[in-house]
Amino acid sequence: MDHAPCTPAPTAPPPPCDAPADAERRGFLKITGGAVALLAGLDAAANTETHAPPPGGDAYNWEEHRWAYVIDTSKCIGCGSCVRACKAENEVPEGFVRTWVERYISGPGGSYVDSPKGGLEGFPPVPTAFTPTKAFFVPKMCNHCKETPCVQVCPVGASYRTKDGVVMVDGKSCIGCGYCVQACPYGSRYLNPVTHTAEKCTWCYHRITKGLKPACVEVCPTSTRIFGNMLREDEPVRQIIDHERVSIMQGHLLTEPQCFYLHLDMEVR
Amino acid sequence: MPEITGYAFPNDIHIHWSLMIVMYPYITGFVAGAFIVSALFHVFGREEFRPVARLAMATSLCFMAVATLPLNLHLGHPERSWLVMVTPNLSSAMAGFGMLYSGYLLILVLEVWFVWRQEIIKYARQSRGLKRTFYAALALGTYDQSPEAVAVDHRAATLLAAIGLPGACMLHGYVGFIFGGIKANPWWSTPLMPVIFLLSAAVSGIALLSILYQVVAKLNRRVIEGRTVAALARWLWFFLILTITLELLEIIMLAYEKSEAWHIISQLLTTRLEFSFITIQMVVGGLIPLILLGVVVLMDKYLHERIRNTLCIASSILLLIQVFSMRWNIVIGGQLLSKSFRGLRSPYSPEVFGREGVLMAIVLVILPFVLLWLFNRVLPIFGDDLPAGGAHHGDPPRAAAGAAAGAAVAEVEPA
Amino acid sequence: MEHARHVFRVVLVVIVGLAAILIGRGFLVPKSHGIFGAYRADNVAEQMKARLPAHQGAASCTPCHKGKAETRAAGSHKTVSCEVCHAPLLRHVAEGKVTGPMPVDKAFTACARCHRKIQGRPEKFPQVVLEQHVTTKLEGAVCLECHDPHSPKL
Ligand code: HEC
Ligand code: HEC
Ligand code: HEC
Ligand code: HEC
Repeated sequence: MDHAPCTPAPTAPPPPCDAPADAERRGFLKITGGAVALLAGLDAAANTETHAPPPGGDAYNWEEHRWAYVIDTSKCIGCGSCVRACKAENEVPEGFVRTWVERYISGPGGSYVDSPKGGLEGFPPVPTAFTPTKAFFVPKMCNHCKETPCVQVCPVGASYRTKDGVVMVDGKSCIGCGYCVQACPYGSRYLNPVTHTAEKCTWCYHRITKGLKPACVEVCPTSTRIFGNMLREDEPVRQIIDHERVSIMQGHLLTEPQCFYLHLDMEVR
Repeated sequence: MPEITGYAFPNDIHIHWSLMIVMYPYITGFVAGAFIVSALFHVFGREEFRPVARLAMATSLCFMAVATLPLNLHLGHPERSWLVMVTPNLSSAMAGFGMLYSGYLLILVLEVWFVWRQEIIKYARQSRGLKRTFYAALALGTYDQSPEAVAVDHRAATLLAAIGLPGACMLHGYVGFIFGGIKANPWWSTPLMPVIFLLSAAVSGIALLSILYQVVAKLNRRVIEGRTVAALARWLWFFLILTITLELLEIIMLAYEKSEAWHIISQLLTTRLEFSFITIQMVVGGLIPLILLGVVVLMDKYLHERIRNTLCIASSILLLIQVFSMRWNIVIGGQLLSKSFRGLRSPYSPEVFGREGVLMAIVLVILPFVLLWLFNRVLPIFGDDLPAGGAHHGDPPRAAAGAAAGAAVAEVEPA
Repeated sequence: MEHARHVFRVVLVVIVGLAAILIGRGFLVPKSHGIFGAYRADNVAEQMKARLPAHQGAASCTPCHKGKAETRAAGSHKTVSCEVCHAPLLRHVAEGKVTGPMPVDKAFTACARCHRKIQGRPEKFPQVVLEQHVTTKLEGAVCLECHDPHSPKL
């Protein structure tokens, strides 16, 4: 569903150019989808190429943005400011998080992972049964995948990916079936116990469309979290993704995450 | 208080696909399983299933009627469930549900109509007043009972059964697909899932019918046909062997491949699911019926009718439990596993009252039988003039004496 | 064919039913559904307006708290947003007017979130073993006895 020009630059490293696979997939979708659509008279739903005016008025043009996120795990101090900011910014219900921080402690004798309350109140020192040789924090959140399993499974089209690359949930259409929560490999969705609909990180869509950074990026004291527009050459995210060795979470699932990690350890999944 | 073992993602505290999502495949399983039994007669012409063919079809319809209830009880916004039909997302397996469900329901209703048309006409002619209007409307105003029309009915029913069989298989295979297609969950994500669901649906459907058949026959003071019971047992055994094999294969495969999630899955099976998986699904519900049915099938000649029937009932009951525990272990088990693959979520025990509680589940199981009773009031499942069966379309029941392989007719008198 | 009249009737009923469903569906589809894909396009604009941005960054405090802002900008907490130690601006100021009190967390636990020595923090990040660093009783606002939170380096 992404309409990025097929230049290697703005897309995810693997695969460098995803046009053939994409075209093939779309072709297949057209055939199967088309048949069903004809049957049910769903042409409107199947037709994604309409050039309607972009939502949001003149202030923001989603055609000019392709958002991406970089997390440098070597910088994270595990303070949990991002978790708290996200909660305050988005009114995340008690007991759930849209972004969280994990701590990995490992050594030859074993490994230990924790994330008390998602790191909301920071981390305590912990005794480990083994002698740790390395320890680090890993902030996590929705990866805003290009080939996102959560959007794929949503039966009513309440989950969707915008043209500027943000995966969101339409709370007015969501029937609360929870299928997307099951389908997300990253555990980044939850069912809001009050509204009974699925919720997730929106990269603070209400902020980024006004020129602000997501709340988690705004408050990060160590620039662990970097956010930007991949369509602009001078953006740090673009520079990092183009020139550094980045990794993604659970690449084998081929979800094409748009959150890229620097200095990720193999322990992390 | 959440009781998480190991490290689970912070959002992975409780499970949200609850008892109702266990009930849903359980109930659709009966739909598919019962339809398979009726198709064995209608499509494959297996005479020994004649006495249960109509019962099977009615059972399938009655379970179908309640199949969407558990889903709606579970949804966060059941009042929006119509969106699944109105704005289906074509890439979603779950959106296919609307189409498959309605398509299959249509076929089922049509087939029931053709099979019961003679009765409908009979009642439309016999009754008076409102009742007459009702049956006349059901008959769509045509009272053609000529042998040619009956032949048309017969052909239509066969054709619909032939379409309905893949329909029923799709409907249930699709339920397996919902789970099998979740690549994020290693306990679900296997192409075997739809097959396992389908086979266990056949098991649960046949098991239910072999109980239902004997119970209904007793209640109606009818003869329990030995060859029917024996045939049901034989097919039950066959499907049981397939299911158990595949269920085991799935796990052996995970273990042998040392797949990345095996360490957590093995932990799941030996801790949270120890009782429901090893004890119930594999031993009490798997191994024991396998042996009991093996005895019924292999030593049929030496068994007294009464013992054979009892063994069938006993193993059928165990199998109903087995299939339920299989649904439970898949649906609940898969969610107990945190996506972190490093921990298990809090154990799940369903609430008793409430929308997704145990009482509701019991109601859901009883409801189809109430519907079945109603169905029988409106369209009698066993014609008054016929021995348990539907001899109006097709040849009369084959002489019992010639029945195959010692499956002589059991003249068990009702107590 | 004469004896298949009932078949035609039932087929007709089915066709009429299907047509009714298809027509009915047309009325039920939400207006903006399917403009950009299989979702309700209006929701994109709704998400933009979902709520007011709560956090506004350190620069937003400067007009009213010039002194504190300058102290912070010159000190070692220049990268630590005011809103981390206090609260999002929206709780304090809306449309340029003070609407509520700004919380001030003076407890040592606030500093400990970032500076307590625990496994996982990068080696070079300044951190202290609380019990060793503070020789008096470890409670309340002890850290502030020696450190200025807005420019803590001594
Ligand atoms: C519109 C001007 C304005 C802006 C912008 C503003 N403040 Fe204030 N702030 C005030 C005023 C006026 C007071 C004194 C009000 C009072 O004492 O109740 C105050 C008081 C405070 C206090 C002291 C509260 C106390 O109980 O002693 C803190 C802390 C504070 N502001 C933090 C901030 C931070 C952090 C920001 C930026 C995110 C900020 N303020 C932005 C006007 C502003
Ligand atoms: C490291 C945490 C931290 C940061 C960052 C921080 N503050 Fe504070 N702030 C405090 C603490 C702690 C106090 C209470 C100090 C005291 O009572 O001695 C305080 C007090 C204040 C007060 C009230 C002063 C008073 O004497 O009552 C204001 C106003 C204030 N801060 C504004 C700001 C502004 C503006 C910024 C950003 C430019 C900022 N603070 C950043 C921790 C912080
Ligand atoms: C959100 C995290 C955060 C909080 C809360 C915080 N700090 Fe800091 N602090 C930092 C960062 C980041 C630095 C800069 C570290 C660097 O220069 O590498 C720093 C630097 C310091 C330094 C200077 C260290 C040096 O050697 O340069 C001191 C002292 C300090 N903080 C004390 C405090 C005290 C006291 C508090 C509580 C009022 C506090 N901090 C709260 C993040 C925090
Ligand atoms: C008795 C005064 C005193 C108190 C109370 C105090 N500190 Fe310090 N702190 C110092 C001095 C002096 C230094 C600088 C000397 C040094 O680097 O060890 C310092 C340095 C630091 C540093 C920088 C260490 C580094 O490695 O560069 C941090 C971080 C810090 N303090 C945090 C805290 C925190 C958090 C508290 C509250 C729990 C606290 N301090 C309470 C006196 C104090």
